[in-house]
Amino acid sequence: MLLFIIGAIVRPSFIAPNSVKSVLVVASFVGFVATGQAFVILIGGIDLSVPWVLNASAILLVTSSLGQDDRAIQAVLLCLGLGLLVGLINGLGIVFLSVPAVVMTLGVNGIMQGLTLGLSKGFTCRSCSANSPPVVSSAVGGNLLGIPADLYIWFGIVLLVTFVLGFTSFGRKVYAVGNNTRASYLAGVNVNFVTVALYMLSGLFAAFTGIALVGYSGSPSLGIGDPYLFQSIAAVVIGGVSILGGRGNYLGVVAGSISLVALISVLQIMNIPDYGRSILYGVVVILILLLYGREERET
Amino acid sequence: MLRPRDIRRHSRGSHFIVQNTPLLLAVILLIATLLFYVGLFFTSLGRFPGNFEITSTINGAMPLILSATGQTVVFLSRGIDLSVGGMVDLTNSLAATRMGDNPISMALWSFVILLVGAAGGLINGLLVTLGRLQPILVTLATLSIFQGIAIKVLPQPGGKVPVAYTAFLTNPEHPWALVFVMLFIFLWFIFRRTPFGVAVYAIGNDEEAARANGIHVTRTRVGAYVVGGILAAAAGLFLAATTTSGDATAGDSYTLTSIAAAFLGGTTIFGGRGSALGSIAGALVLSIIISVLFFAGINQLYEAFYQGMFLVVAVALSMLLGRFFGRKRR
Repeated sequence: MLLFIIGAIVRPSFIAPNSVKSVLVVASFVGFVATGQAFVILIGGIDLSVPWVLNASAILLVTSSLGQDDRAIQAVLLCLGLGLLVGLINGLGIVFLSVPAVVMTLGVNGIMQGLTLGLSKGFTCRSCSANSPPVVSSAVGGNLLGIPADLYIWFGIVLLVTFVLGFTSFGRKVYAVGNNTRASYLAGVNVNFVTVALYMLSGLFAAFTGIALVGYSGSPSLGIGDPYLFQSIAAVVIGGVSILGGRGNYLGVVAGSISLVALISVLQIMNIPDYGRSILYGVVVILILLLYGREERET
Repeated sequence: MLRPRDIRRHSRGSHFIVQNTPLLLAVILLIATLLFYVGLFFTSLGRFPGNFEITSTINGAMPLILSATGQTVVFLSRGIDLSVGGMVDLTNSLAATRMGDNPISMALWSFVILLVGAAGGLINGLLVTLGRLQPILVTLATLSIFQGIAIKVLPQPGGKVPVAYTAFLTNPEHPWALVFVMLFIFLWFIFRRTPFGVAVYAIGNDEEAARANGIHVTRTRVGAYVVGGILAAAAGLFLAATTTSGDATAGDSYTLTSIAAAFLGGTTIFGGRGSALGSIAGALVLSIIISVLFFAGINQLYEAFYQGMFLVVAVALSMLLGRFFGRKRR
């Protein structure tokens, strides 16, 4: 993984602090989504509802705050609540209706997409001051000691998640459920609770990314979340988390997000046209997987 | 002492129901949607949908039917193919740019395009089996690759598909579409009985047992992806024929809708269970919903909402029913 980052930095003009910073900021958005995705993948699930939860949250932020600072806190809480609610629905459907995670989250993604498009009438509400509240913007886009504030947030999340997964009983339960659901149930882990909680976390992080993206770019757009589905899954898996659950750590996911975004920006810097970037992106992901992601022979 | 007749046996009928709950549900769902569609059509236009409406609906559903069936075959082998959308993109672009006007070149290019689909499936299959990578990741990466090539082939939406080609594949004046679907179902029943078809179901149900019974697991799995690729390519051809032009991103949505249709049809992601019939029903349901929404005067923007709702409710229902019947069985 390190090799890969170094390889990326070797490109001239890539080492400039500004470009490193912007790569890191872009990577942080992937990192936020990937955090939630990593949680559910750790228990062998998957969350395909990420794109439109993110998008719904982004649009909800501006429509509920109307770009005013004094409404910012309520709006942010509303968005995070939305993420938690969608995660709750996902989790309950998967646990109590025993709908496969792929189907449940895919369906919920469609539901969120329809609701978002329908309720916003397909516009991003350009007429009604569709800007993020300045407070949110400065919280995400501002600088502190020359480092974007957004990166502090990410750093905080990294510390928190590493702590939770590594040093709390909840973290241990997550790995236990991921490794063997039945055994952990018999060992007294409340599997249903853990599963629902993790999907709620995934929804929360997706909604949070929506807020951060709007804060960073100033205004939302439809389809803003679409690239984050595949990128978040790819980042998690490149980061060494087993898609079957139970193995992997969060720092790997952080490295995965950074290297993925670094790869994309290197391809951009090298002036490779769109199609070439898309092809190379796929090829490189396969190569990385062949190097790192192979399953051990089981038989 | 246990005598043979003490062992409870099901009548053929109830056995069939237990085995085919999801499929029956899909068919019921299809019939319900159809009735709803016909009812709305009648109330808003004062007549029943004629040949033209039926055929154009099926024509519109054809790419989804084909790609969903491809997805089903991959699902049956306990895999998943996310690259379907990219393959539809690529083949759609190829069809819109390369096809000449004379019948021979049309037929030739159709064949070449199906070969492209097979090659894409072969790459997926080889990476999954020999590369020992997770299907979801491999096809995610190849999705990106196929999309890239598609944009290279056709940078802007455009190109054109010969009129004769459209007339041949998707002519709304004659009920060809129904014939194609029937032919397709017929082919499925043949597939189901070939050694390859049996092998696909076998490795989906129990890979070890299949291997122990002399089934070549690697070859079968690769074969499933190849079939998936060919069907995705066929979907691209039909899409080009219905839209009469190409768009390198038009196929993107088929990744998710093909999965949704397969699930609606009762195919499970855990392999070995499901059939093309269910997926065809699922694909038709998803397509007809759009017409229903149109006639019901519901804003098109809510389309995804209803499709998602249908998917979740249908699968949840089939899970609950399956559990209900399963409990009764004991």
